[in-house]
Amino acid sequence: MKILVCIKQIPDMASKFKPNAAGSWFSEADLAFRMNEYDEYAVEEAVKLREKDPASELAVLSVGPARVVEALKKALAMGCDRAVHVPDEEAYRKDPWQIASIIAGYAKKGNFDIIFTGMQSQDRGSAQIGPLLAGMLGFSCVTTAIGFSLEGRTATAKRELEGGAKGVVKAALPAVITCQLGLNTPRYPTLPNIMKAKKKEIAVLNAAELSSEAALAGTEKFYAPVKKGTGLVLEGGDAAALAGKLIDVLKEKTTVLRG
Amino acid sequence: MEATREIYWNVGRGAIPPMYGFFAAAAGAMAYGFYKKLAVYRSGKALDRVSGPADRLARAVYWALAQLKVLRNPFPGLFHAGFFWGFLLLTAGTALIMVQEDFTVRLFGLRFLQGDFYRGYSLVLDLAGLAAILTLLVFFVRRFLYRPKGLETTADDCLAHALLFFILVTGFLIEGARMAVTELHANPELARFSPVGLLVAGLLPGSPAALEGLHKSLWWVHMFAAFGFIAFVPFGKLRHLFLIPVNYFFSDTGPLGGLKTLDLADENAQTFGAEKVNELSWKDIYDSDACVSCKRCQDECPAYATGKTLSPMKVIQDLRRSALAGPGTDIVAAVTDKALWACTTCRACQTTCPAAIEHVPKIVEMRRSMTLMKGEFAGEEGRAAIGSFEVNKNPFGLPNAGRADWAAGLSVRTLAEDPSADVLYFAGCYASFDRRNKAVAARFMEICSKAGVKVGMLGKEEQCCGEPARKLGNEYLYQELAGENIKTFGKYGVKKIVTACPHCRHTLGVHYRDLGFGGEVVHHTVFIKELIDSGRLKLKALPFEFTYHDSCYLSRYSGVTEEPRAVLAAAGGSLAEMERCGDNSFCCGGGGGRALLEEKEGTKISVERVKMARATGRPVVVSNCPFCLTMLEDGIKAADCEAALKARDLAEVVAERLA
Ligand code: SF4
Ligand code: SF4
Repeated sequence: MKILVCIKQIPDMASKFKPNAAGSWFSEADLAFRMNEYDEYAVEEAVKLREKDPASELAVLSVGPARVVEALKKALAMGCDRAVHVPDEEAYRKDPWQIASIIAGYAKKGNFDIIFTGMQSQDRGSAQIGPLLAGMLGFSCVTTAIGFSLEGRTATAKRELEGGAKGVVKAALPAVITCQLGLNTPRYPTLPNIMKAKKKEIAVLNAAELSSEAALAGTEKFYAPVKKGTGLVLEGGDAAALAGKLIDVLKEKTTVLRG
Repeated sequence: MEATREIYWNVGRGAIPPMYGFFAAAAGAMAYGFYKKLAVYRSGKALDRVSGPADRLARAVYWALAQLKVLRNPFPGLFHAGFFWGFLLLTAGTALIMVQEDFTVRLFGLRFLQGDFYRGYSLVLDLAGLAAILTLLVFFVRRFLYRPKGLETTADDCLAHALLFFILVTGFLIEGARMAVTELHANPELARFSPVGLLVAGLLPGSPAALEGLHKSLWWVHMFAAFGFIAFVPFGKLRHLFLIPVNYFFSDTGPLGGLKTLDLADENAQTFGAEKVNELSWKDIYDSDACVSCKRCQDECPAYATGKTLSPMKVIQDLRRSALAGPGTDIVAAVTDKALWACTTCRACQTTCPAAIEHVPKIVEMRRSMTLMKGEFAGEEGRAAIGSFEVNKNPFGLPNAGRADWAAGLSVRTLAEDPSADVLYFAGCYASFDRRNKAVAARFMEICSKAGVKVGMLGKEEQCCGEPARKLGNEYLYQELAGENIKTFGKYGVKKIVTACPHCRHTLGVHYRDLGFGGEVVHHTVFIKELIDSGRLKLKALPFEFTYHDSCYLSRYSGVTEEPRAVLAAAGGSLAEMERCGDNSFCCGGGGGRALLEEKEGTKISVERVKMARATGRPVVVSNCPFCLTMLEDGIKAADCEAALKARDLAEVVAERLA
């Protein structure tokens, strides 16, 4: 079995975001980066699958600037066999269509049976890479998986639907699975695996050679939401639930709970 | 009349060859017993605990003879010391007889057990025997009648008690019988020098012939008991007679609170930390065998005191059982992860242990195995904190770019802005991000500017010192964080650092040495004391009443107990000590990474400490550690005594009294 997992490195979401000089995206100055949370579930699920069959092979891929190598190293330490880095200092200017075609350009040649990725990125949140990739490759596609198993060449995934409803989907391989919170608890890499990961291959591929697709959509402007002085009334439920809601609001919208 | 006695009186010199034969057998049994143990100790990893042997030997002899470690706890320490000295003198007295009869007399015809020396010898030995019997009685009452909480009594304890008691009693009976025949009437002047023997002699009924018969048979019984004791030493708790003084020789000569720095670049290392017996060092295994289950460590342990699974005594006993079960025995399973995560690394156990057993490094070593080899965490909050350290370089998950925000509006500059500072202030995570501790940092800056000290900081270039991660077992993350900090110190040529946090102070000042940073690191308490002593800082003494909470990492890890008291006295404070103070202090519950974890088991350690502070009746508890301040304030809230007790940092008290 050949497995691919696609990951993105994103800024820590607790950061204070400022627009870059062109006002086209956020400035990366002073930001700390980490692996996209949903991609961690994808890596974990891929590693679990790979561990079941010693003959299988698991590659991890990321498109982005030099810093994404850190995320690739973490995926290697978690148990991926090899990594593919497609360097692109301006990846943030590419739209999901372009990123997906770069990945498809690579995956086409790789004969993959299954591709895992996060259901969306925490920073851009378009949730398009998985479905686009499946379309380009002609794979089956299951999104927002919160449960996954494989029987022969049939994948069974539990999906989270609107309003908390769940659904179970069966898909024939090859397939793209996008992963949602609840699928698993990503492992913490052990030190021997971190050491081993340092010796694993990180191949560097040229984005332009994988795809020359033009953007279908561009990001015009990046700016902080205009502050509105609106109030908010929390109603209903018992006191504990209300207090919980209040804390969530304070955490999300203010800094009073941050020390 | 001559002042001496006939050695081997009544038993005759014919007893000598069989006596030596039995002695050889007993000594052989003892040697064999320890030899068997050697293989168990050897199943551990190599560790140098013998270099500098002269100093080690001197220390071992001093600690053992002076009973230094035992006397730390006056009761039952004094009684143990009394017994030890008594028994030691009796053994030495017996050995002197051997020296005279079998060496000096045979070789030079010299007899020294006579005249005044013999009188003194008799008196000293008689009193030593009395002291030994009386202290043994006290032990008997304590162990079997009073039964202190937590003291476990096994067959081994009973046997040791009975044997010692029997040897002492038969010794006096033999003396009494001999004196009844040879001294009571014949040499009363000499008999006075053996008051206990004299008493026994007077009480023994019977004709001289009957007494001689009694004497002879008791002599053999006593001899067998004494040799039995020698043979038994390695096999029961009495092994501590030998193992503990030797453990003093092996004890750590490095700085207080040292931990082994793992070589993470070692390509051959297969395992990190200790999950199995043979992943411990030989010293760890030896330690476990030297434990006498005296429970002193358990009595001092804040986790045990608040109903957690952890008892340091049990940890050591679990290790001992595991070591005896075989080198591959799973020690993490034996000790349990619950117990291991409960430790605050407060070092109270280790400081008080009369056997000089090193508990904390073992606990950390096992945590390392859980973390580094299995990727385990002490709960979800532990996982989150480690994740935050990795991404944000602080446990709060806040952007590290805001690390200098606490200093906004103050005169302190980053070294990047102005590298000419006198001293680097390493604020640490709490003083950088926690609201309460940010205020403390600001007050410390006031003190420095009043004293004319130019302080620099690293701002967003500062990262967590790595201490909580390290104590939680994540040596890899610790070394990453430490490495970055050390690089930054190097970039600015940092020579002297003052820290807000005792944990930072200990880590930067002691542990960073292994990673290549050798600068001077002091805590703000010591820094303030230096400023006062040098006359740069003047205080108005405004009277206030307080109690002082010694943080573990300042007192037990850094030996700083006098300085804060002196500073607070200079500030006009009148101190009422808590029962647990100085290097005997009771942890706030925040050490060992515990401040970042939830405390679900038992009661809250901080509440226990707040109760102790409340018992002094003082309205303020002064501390000087960000963890302590946070934990104490939590404890005060949880104990619902916010009106009666306030927690403050020493720097705040000082800053209010700048002259
Ligand atoms: S470890 Fe030390 S203090 Fe604890 S029971 Fe054993 S000998 Fe006593
Ligand atoms: S270090 Fe403190 S908390 Fe840990 S076992 Fe020893 S006494 Fe208990």
